[in-house]
Amino acid sequence: MVTFKHTQLKNGMDIVAEINPDAQSVAIGFMVKTGSRDESGDVSGVSHFLEHMMFKGTARRSSADVNREFDAMGARNNAFTSNEVTCYWAHILPEFLPAALDLLADMMRPALHGADFDMEKKVILEEIALYLDRPGHVLYEAIMKDHFCRHPMAYSILGTKESITALTRDQMKTYFDARYGPGNMVLAVAGNMDFDELLRLSEEKCGQWKHLDVQRQYPAAEITGGERHIVDPKLKRHYVALMCPGPSAQHDGRYAAQVLADAVGDHDGSRLYWALVEPGLADEADFSFYPHDQVGSFFAYASCDPARSGQVADILRSELEKIILHGLTDQEISRSKNKIATAAVLQGELPLGRMRNICSRWIYNKEYKTLEEDLQLLESVDAAAIKKVIQEYPFNPITTTTLGPAAS
Amino acid sequence: MSIVKTAGLKARQDVTTLSNGLTLLVESMPDVRSAALTILTPMGAASDPANGLGSANVLADWITRGAGERDNRALTDYLDSLGVQRSASAETVFMRFSASMLADKLPQVLPVYGDILLRPMLPDAGFGPARDLAMQQLDAIEDEPAQKLNLLIKSRHFPQPYGRPVVGKKEHLTALTPAGLRQDFTSRSTARGSILAVAGAVEFSAVRDMVEKHFGSWQSKEPVQMPAQAAAGGVWHEQQSSNQVQIGLAFDAIPESDPDSIVLQLAMNILSGGMGARLFSEIREKQGLCYSVSAGYMSLKHLGAVLGYAGTVPERAQKTLDSFLHELQRFSAGAQRDELDRAQVGMKARVIMNGESSAARAGAIAHDFYHYGRPRTLDELRGRIESVDLKRLNTFLDVHRAGKMTVVTIGPAPLAVPVDMIG
Repeated sequence: MVTFKHTQLKNGMDIVAEINPDAQSVAIGFMVKTGSRDESGDVSGVSHFLEHMMFKGTARRSSADVNREFDAMGARNNAFTSNEVTCYWAHILPEFLPAALDLLADMMRPALHGADFDMEKKVILEEIALYLDRPGHVLYEAIMKDHFCRHPMAYSILGTKESITALTRDQMKTYFDARYGPGNMVLAVAGNMDFDELLRLSEEKCGQWKHLDVQRQYPAAEITGGERHIVDPKLKRHYVALMCPGPSAQHDGRYAAQVLADAVGDHDGSRLYWALVEPGLADEADFSFYPHDQVGSFFAYASCDPARSGQVADILRSELEKIILHGLTDQEISRSKNKIATAAVLQGELPLGRMRNICSRWIYNKEYKTLEEDLQLLESVDAAAIKKVIQEYPFNPITTTTLGPAAS
Repeated sequence: MSIVKTAGLKARQDVTTLSNGLTLLVESMPDVRSAALTILTPMGAASDPANGLGSANVLADWITRGAGERDNRALTDYLDSLGVQRSASAETVFMRFSASMLADKLPQVLPVYGDILLRPMLPDAGFGPARDLAMQQLDAIEDEPAQKLNLLIKSRHFPQPYGRPVVGKKEHLTALTPAGLRQDFTSRSTARGSILAVAGAVEFSAVRDMVEKHFGSWQSKEPVQMPAQAAAGGVWHEQQSSNQVQIGLAFDAIPESDPDSIVLQLAMNILSGGMGARLFSEIREKQGLCYSVSAGYMSLKHLGAVLGYAGTVPERAQKTLDSFLHELQRFSAGAQRDELDRAQVGMKARVIMNGESSAARAGAIAHDFYHYGRPRTLDELRGRIESVDLKRLNTFLDVHRAGKMTVVTIGPAPLAVPVDMIG
């Protein structure tokens, strides 16, 4: 029997737990509501660089200790930074939960030594170089910039060679002090655990952290759409991306938007699959829904031979127009719901999947839903709900950014 | 004949072979409501015709474009309506089909895979697009230097046909015809040597009856074998103006069927398991030379290799390669007890965590059958990991030193490799 618990420490830190006594393992994570959208222009990339620095030691642990201790628990562990959250997680056997909490909580108060900062800067510059060799990533960063313009969602997660080179340890410390308050983070745990013990340990490890007043800015997104082509003569393929407004993570239409996106552009059996991939016109064509904090997008992506770039772009646009005019059929809606439901159940069988689900849900909406409740909300999506999303978000204004070897 | 074992963590395993030679492996897991299947059939790149490299890769796409009574669209819509998450791909030895679903859908899904493998339509209309997509894959690899390196290092290090890139060659793909590829499919399709693994909320006898019914008439013949040729090896550089230099290296290792492979796997964990492992710690953490640095173990039935990878900007590339080679040499002097302890805890934890996923278990028991001739239980895996002590590990590292290297780089300029290390 799965049960849910929520509690808040006096300093404002939320603890959410989904307890499953039948699980063989447990996943634990700290998610901080901060990312590239919370950076000012002169510290571009600091959220992600800081995520690396959180592994570099604390008042009582060296960087080598941190890595060695995770390994000694046999943990699968990592961290990631997005435009709006930074998450540190570990998947472990239940007997290591106290040790994992001790380690992760300690990491949330990092030493940020200058020597480690200088060394890790080199690794970040390598990561930037690595992504510059991936056309899909280059294009995604470009369209986020083109689409969101002055809105903070336009900011790059990695930053640039220039912004990272110029960044100082003190600027990072200032950012950390402003963003990593306990009220701006959630501790989420899913799987097999002793909740009372977890609560006692969380009080002990995190209870002393001083409350901070942390706010996120929500400027209006002024999206006008537009077109841009980027030439890179060494590429063999042409890459096309489209972005248009969609429901946010808080919008009631987000379940319908998810079904819509699957029917339009899942990698198999979707409208774009039949129009572009099945006939061999594009080796990849996807349409996704990205619900963000108080703002959202639909995103389409395809790659093709440069000679077919015009044809592929035309088909992409005409498929979206057909959706606006005629919506989806009941069969399409039902198939997409079944696909999404199965994926949710499969993910729900693994503690790591559940931890990430309850964690982001709490960050975005301060709510918990059981897997069954989630599936019911999905099941309730019908043609009318899809139509409502399309009326409110008619794939317009649309931003088109392309990347390829030839001039447009 | 059916062999029954308790798999640990309350699961149970059954093994049986159909009269046509198809092996069925079933692992019943009590705590899940999903089911997953993995089918491995010996129709991979290694058995592609010598003048038809890339055939298996095209077939893996074409074969799902309609089967039995359902055309391409009906087949796709049917599996989607059942919510099946799936993939089909060609690998070196096998063509692999994977599918995950809610367990109550298995009786509807298994017959579809029977149709795909025994009665594919292989329609004329689907041939062109399937081949076109395979050709586009060749170009896409040129845009992703890390992927390209992975293909290059394998093709230089492994004896042919085992090093063949699955994607094949453009001129061979151009020459393929629908009739020729259908003929190729018929000549390679066989129940013997194929493995069907099912894991999840399933019951053995019910699965066996369904598999007998839908796969029982699959033709049976010896899987096609291509003659082996020596590997190229040596040092190879590919000029490309990428942001990072791609560095790949490889040396021979024992195959997984060797009783000592568990020692090698533990050694690989010490070298490149978690963030505290040697390569990550010495090359990234202490020197900041790269973002990605790793080594992995790869094995086919009769051969194995350790493959190393690093990506770094041109000015740090030589130092990265030198440090990598230095770590490999230093490793032959042995590991410390705490390193072995951590590797053992990590591998055991992985065994238990993978035991929670039906998809991971279906893949694992199929893998086991290929390498060991039987599925291994989680308890057996744990026992094997625990059986290795420091003396055995260090003796192994001393005897099995990193041998002659194959080194491949992609970037603006070649790197210097010590002559005595080149194979």
